[in-house]
Amino acid sequence: MPPVLESLFEFLFKYKPFVFARGEVVLAATAGSMVAAGLLLALAVPIVRQYRAIGGRSTPRSRLALAVLRAAVVALGCFVLLRPSLVVATAVPQQNFVGVLVDDSRSMRVAEGGAQTRAEQVSAWLDPGGSGLFGQLEERFRLRLFSFSDATRRLEGLEELRFEGLRTNVGRALEAGRQELGGVPLSGLVLLSDGADNDSSGLTETLNGLRDAKVPVFVVGVGREEFARDIEITRVEAPNEVMQNSAVAADVVVRQRGYEGETVELLVEDGGRIVSTVEVTLPRAGESTVVRATFVAEDPGPRILTFRIEVAEGEMVRQNNALETLVTVRDEQARILYFEGEPRHEVAFIRRALHEDGNIALATLVRSAPNKFQSLIVDPVEEFGGEHELFGGFPKTREELYRYSALVLGSVEADFFTRDQLQMIADFVSQRGGGLLALGGRHAFAEGGYAGTPVAEALPVVIEAPRPAAEPWYAEVDVVPTLFGRSHPVVQFGASAEESAARWETMPPLLAVNRVTRIKPGAASLLDGNAEGLEEAQAVLAYQRYGAGKSIALTVADTWQWQMHGDVPLEDMTHETFWQQMLRWLVADVSGQVRARLGRERFAPGETVAVLTDVFDDTYLAVNDAQVRALVTGPDGEVEALDLAWTVDVDGRYAASFVAEADGFYTVSVVAEGREGPLGQDVATGQATELTQEFFGAEMNRELLTRVAEETSGRFYTAANLDELAGDIAFTDGGTTVTEVLDLWDMPIFFFVFIGMIGTEWTLRKWRRLA
Amino acid sequence: MIQPRWRMAGAALAVTAAGVVLATAVAFAGAGGTEPQRGRSRGWANSGPAPDVDYENVAYDGRFTFARVRFNPTTWSGGRYAWGLDLKWNHDYPRADRRLAEILGAVTGVETQQEGSNIVTLDDPELFRYPWAYMCEVGFLELSDTEATNLREYMLKGGFVVVDDFTGWHWYNFEAEMAKVMPENRFIEIFADHPIFHAFFEIDDLTFGGGQYRFQGGGPPRYFALFEDNDPTKRLMMIANFDNDIGEFWEFADNPYVLIDLSNDAFKLGVNYVMYSMFH
Repeated sequence: MPPVLESLFEFLFKYKPFVFARGEVVLAATAGSMVAAGLLLALAVPIVRQYRAIGGRSTPRSRLALAVLRAAVVALGCFVLLRPSLVVATAVPQQNFVGVLVDDSRSMRVAEGGAQTRAEQVSAWLDPGGSGLFGQLEERFRLRLFSFSDATRRLEGLEELRFEGLRTNVGRALEAGRQELGGVPLSGLVLLSDGADNDSSGLTETLNGLRDAKVPVFVVGVGREEFARDIEITRVEAPNEVMQNSAVAADVVVRQRGYEGETVELLVEDGGRIVSTVEVTLPRAGESTVVRATFVAEDPGPRILTFRIEVAEGEMVRQNNALETLVTVRDEQARILYFEGEPRHEVAFIRRALHEDGNIALATLVRSAPNKFQSLIVDPVEEFGGEHELFGGFPKTREELYRYSALVLGSVEADFFTRDQLQMIADFVSQRGGGLLALGGRHAFAEGGYAGTPVAEALPVVIEAPRPAAEPWYAEVDVVPTLFGRSHPVVQFGASAEESAARWETMPPLLAVNRVTRIKPGAASLLDGNAEGLEEAQAVLAYQRYGAGKSIALTVADTWQWQMHGDVPLEDMTHETFWQQMLRWLVADVSGQVRARLGRERFAPGETVAVLTDVFDDTYLAVNDAQVRALVTGPDGEVEALDLAWTVDVDGRYAASFVAEADGFYTVSVVAEGREGPLGQDVATGQATELTQEFFGAEMNRELLTRVAEETSGRFYTAANLDELAGDIAFTDGGTTVTEVLDLWDMPIFFFVFIGMIGTEWTLRKWRRLA
Repeated sequence: MIQPRWRMAGAALAVTAAGVVLATAVAFAGAGGTEPQRGRSRGWANSGPAPDVDYENVAYDGRFTFARVRFNPTTWSGGRYAWGLDLKWNHDYPRADRRLAEILGAVTGVETQQEGSNIVTLDDPELFRYPWAYMCEVGFLELSDTEATNLREYMLKGGFVVVDDFTGWHWYNFEAEMAKVMPENRFIEIFADHPIFHAFFEIDDLTFGGGQYRFQGGGPPRYFALFEDNDPTKRLMMIANFDNDIGEFWEFADNPYVLIDLSNDAFKLGVNYVMYSMFH
């Protein structure tokens, strides 16, 4: 309820709504008052009856109105004589405890308006020598002080507050406060916080527990709900791991107040080197805008990427203009199988585009004639277990196929495969989590007879019925990025979006021999193709998530034109870049049989870090009886061995934890072994560092704090009404209480209603010229 | 540096050989009479621009299309165009071109254009739509700066060129012209162990053929190649069938006077050349 309405309510009803909410309204009539009410009621009957006989200019309707008014006046009088009262429980002074929980996190250091910080404000309220909140509470209750951030601890004095906590977890703090004071009569908890909770796990359970234990929480919101002027990078969505030399896209959420419409530069830095610059037009106050920054991850290893907007003049929080994220750039080879059913120049040009790419190991299997295969292996041969691996043709078992991270399916008709192989290809995507790229060609898509097959199910485009063989269709299409594709890293060919758009305008047309116009719901289109006479654009490049993996359709047949065409300069690298980016994207999220990760990629020194690992066999079924071990190498070179145990709740998931003592990078190498031998290994990386997340989302979170108060039958306060807190907390069910009966008969509302009805009756009588 | 054996021969032999080549070419041009002469019209110019040539290219549709390079022959080689009788670049056209496309389509999985073949000039951007190209009679090749630049770009971008039908002193001219194209590269002789001879058919013996060059003092055919970065382990960009004329055997594959084995071997080379260009 707004403060004005709350004051008006208290004026009319004598007590605040909060007191009514906590008590029960009863009629506390004595015998005398009941007799008096009865007499009044008896007198009322003839008075009301006499209105039936009055004359003057009265009408039946006005007589009825006068009778009702008079009856209501009598009824109100009777009600007041019955002594309405409010029964509430109140705490017995100095016999109850109140826990005071003070937010000790860094966000309390924010200075708003350039004057007092939040910490200073709270310190002033809790000054034991002053007449502020601390003094008011101390008059009635025995106080216990706690500080909280990521952990909660008991305070002996306010001087122990440091305001250096790196995380805020309100739920955990309330739970700790309740448990700490579980053995004493507890009237409630007082929470002083800005509500900038960045670790809200377990809050709902905590609030339910407090409500059940009848422990109300009286919440004091510290700080402003809205900064006057501030630019904040709220969030960065970037992949945790990428292959070296991958094009990376990071979505950056920017919010502001006070700088609407202004243009600022978003810089992406890798170790102090600027790798991307994006101009951002700031959105309306309080709204967020998402900016996509793209760059190439060149240097291998764990990389700290900093997304930064220069601090503007007048900003209230400077620390939230830069946000760091950890991206591990893996210098490893992804194994990709390219199966081509039709010898064509596309094969040579794709191979050449990837030839010097050390991160892509492409095994090319070409059916050079019916039942004749040409197996071409890109170095290093040993990566594939010998050059003869594919001489038997396309893999016939899941174990053989699942060795690859991705499959590129060229111009090969569906009939070439057995039904089981087609299902295996679909499972390769959905179950193994591999990448599938289907290329256009005379034996691909509808023309290849894929309609209705499991592969068609996996692909992101709708495969229509094939055309008659006698009526082949082909068209040279001008390829253009879709709205979505314009900011997608795979189809970026320049340092900036403008440069890329300019490049696309000069790209030569490509040949499509499969008419594909529709993508599936849930799929996204990156490139369209247009040509004279085409009513609908050709869907040139589309993708979708399919189960655990990703499928991509590239429906053109000669991307080599982007290399050979007469208009393409010799030194142009668009074709190479396209294929390198495409295949990196194809395998970007593909994991092996062992998938290790840390509970958090960035953590504070001293924190406990969880190591989680999913383990699969060679057909990608979860393994629950593996031996999983990890070696944790800290920044100082010390190695700690961990045994991971199956978590039971998730098939194939194993967990352990370690304490990150020192600042720096921690590398966790996990090895899993099954009954029949090694299952695989994986490496996860994290960084122990001083975290700055407390300065993000640092505006006072009224929504969260109000929720805490309301769900525990407490109340929310700000500096404006803080004086009421000590009085309100007296009305509590918890602790040692006495029941108080508060008179309501003298509420001003009764007087005003009485005067109002009498006045209305008098006015009506005068109007009707009655006595 | 390559030292072809014929360099030991004297200039008189070269002149004689040139005369024989000219005579043979004229004779073969007439022998193509069973095929509609869509390729050229005859003129009588002995110098100046090329005679009008009226040929009908097929549209690009993504299938393998035989692309024959048309060039202006040298003025010193017995008269430019030989009064319109011999254009040099068109030897065995169009029967050789069509025959190879047919065989390629029949024995491999390559989708081939068999309704026609194309003639492209080196200064025509259309050249770059066909990553496999055929040139013959390069003893009479004369490249303008633009043509040299384009041919260089064509090969460096990924194009593959088959050079055929030349012998003896033709080498001097060809080598000199190619020096304009890739001065930093040199021809390297390749043998039967090179992957190109195993790209589809297993060809272990390269001594077949030679055609009329056998009668002109030529030895067994030899194969010279230009490689990316001059590195024989890298992509082969151009192969020169020296002392050989496999186009001839393609053209006359259905002629009872040509040994079927010769045509077979010539087709095997042609198929391997195409397959190699598609895989490497």
